[in-house]
Amino acid sequence: MKKYAYFPGCSLEKMAQSYHHSSIETMRKLDVELEELEDWNCCGATAYFHVDELLAYTLCARNLAQAEKQKLDVVAPCSGCYKNMFSTRAHLQHEPALADHINYALEADNLKFTGSSAVRHLIEVFVQDIGLDAVKAKVTQPLKGLRVAPYYGCQILRPRKADEDVEQAHYFEDLMAAIGATPVDFELKLRCCGGALIITNRKAALSLVRNLLDNAAKVGSQVIATACPLCQVNLECYQKLVNQEFGTNFNMPVLYFTQLIGLAFGLPPKQLGIGTELVSAESVVCLARSKPS
Amino acid sequence: MADKPTFREEIAGVLHASTGNPLDVCMQCGTCSATCPVASGGFMDNSPRRIIAMINAGLKERVLKSNTYWYCASCYHCTVRCPRGIDIAELMYGLKRYTVWHAKTQEGMIGPVFSETFVKMIVRTGRSYEPVLATSYLFTLGVPEMIQEAQTATSLMLKGRLPLLPARIKRLDNFKKVLKRIIPLGDPDE
Amino acid sequence: MSKAKQLLIIDDDVDYVDGIKAILTRAGYEVAAAYNPKSGMELLKSKPWDLFLLDVMMGRGAEGIMMARQIGKDPKLRETPLLIITGIREQIAFLFPGEPVHPHFVANDELMEKPVDPKLLLERVAALLKASEAKKAKAK
Repeated sequence: MKKYAYFPGCSLEKMAQSYHHSSIETMRKLDVELEELEDWNCCGATAYFHVDELLAYTLCARNLAQAEKQKLDVVAPCSGCYKNMFSTRAHLQHEPALADHINYALEADNLKFTGSSAVRHLIEVFVQDIGLDAVKAKVTQPLKGLRVAPYYGCQILRPRKADEDVEQAHYFEDLMAAIGATPVDFELKLRCCGGALIITNRKAALSLVRNLLDNAAKVGSQVIATACPLCQVNLECYQKLVNQEFGTNFNMPVLYFTQLIGLAFGLPPKQLGIGTELVSAESVVCLARSKPS
Repeated sequence: MADKPTFREEIAGVLHASTGNPLDVCMQCGTCSATCPVASGGFMDNSPRRIIAMINAGLKERVLKSNTYWYCASCYHCTVRCPRGIDIAELMYGLKRYTVWHAKTQEGMIGPVFSETFVKMIVRTGRSYEPVLATSYLFTLGVPEMIQEAQTATSLMLKGRLPLLPARIKRLDNFKKVLKRIIPLGDPDE
Repeated sequence: MSKAKQLLIIDDDVDYVDGIKAILTRAGYEVAAAYNPKSGMELLKSKPWDLFLLDVMMGRGAEGIMMARQIGKDPKLRETPLLIITGIREQIAFLFPGEPVHPHFVANDELMEKPVDPKLLLERVAALLKASEAKKAKAK
């Protein structure tokens, strides 16, 4: 059985608990154990980098060092947490003096960063570590006819990764196809949802969300699939505000990709946290259930 | 003996010391501004391309008065597309730090207040807690926005998606000692 | 006094460095400056110095502390007296209220807060240099 140190991040504790439950349940189906990272702390989000980058690195390094202690690679379902931990590891490996200083701080918690634990985004675990064939093998109720807009957002792919063309990603589409759904040609799939601007610069963020919803609706999507709690909240929970602000009439369900995989695996919607949406996902569930294989 | 730095060198000094982030190689092609979803929406008073030009021209006061970097959502699309290899998103972080440290943040901007509240909260508990974040900036919003926010929060609460109590990490004392070794200042408990 | 004492100041605040430099130069010291941690580290190692003046919040964060620790670990550098001068209490006051904590990475060091009183600065510099001289004499 494959095992990872699971870093839920602050959002998954409550706001995105459906992502948490659906991740655990789908991974269990695939014989992967997510062992929660012992006494994890916040990744620092974007705010820490506004104030002190060394402090931001320290927060992430503490989590990485803890994963090393558990002798496991870390997996993060949130793109923001993932990017912070991934780039912290890269910076510390690149700059020994920096790593030395951060380790001096971590000594106070009996931890040490060496870089031995890799950082993975949850979607990478599905696509690369487990593989599409293994995912396909567990599908009992393929989501035939469901038109899904696979929304990558930003920080799974960016900043630049050396071995990857970040503008040409196609694995999200492939994953959705593997569970029987029809991935639509979602032109804005790599564009930003506005992230924390939804709080700090509301109007700007709402206009970005509107563009995404507009594009997804135009290509006939029935649901947007996300891989990040911030994207999910912006696209779904603020959809009503978008409608108020721009006089639009969007009613687009936004689910985590793990919830869609769970439905295809035949897991009960409730176990996947479906039912806590502000934009009902009933239509998606009906479609998934109407055509059992 | 180093000469007195230009504004460009000052800003370059705030960025990654090891990898460097050479702003002087910018050729003003505008790929960053065209890529930026916030700039192309017309929300920034100066586009990323313009900000770099202003830094290179030494227009310090105007750069520090600009809202550009507080409107950056850190999506890194500009960074991966820059043909000259400038890490523009990191530059925005650097400008935020510069203004925070030099107490040059502008009145009425929620960005700096939000960052400060967020950072403070994690220093104290190790984790973030949405309701505290919400109240910190609520008063800086206008009345319609405040009502919108309350509506969204209520809907989320009804669906069980907002936490009632903040989470704390277990080894909080050690955690604070760790942070104090990086920033040797005061006591986070005071 | 044969030769003027060589002082190196590392601080990202250009105007502040101008002021400190003027005070110290008038008092007969030779003062060089670096304005970011990277060139500061290069200059530190470039030749022997009599005293370092070091800021805290520089570059990506509290890199002054990272540098002080590196100085403390380097047998060639750690005998040089170190004066940390910081405005950290105001720069990130929202984070930790309270006084700066003095991290002792080298034997002969002091911590001062900005804004500095010129008279006090000269006293501290003189005292640090004197202690360093005494230590050297004793070693001989």
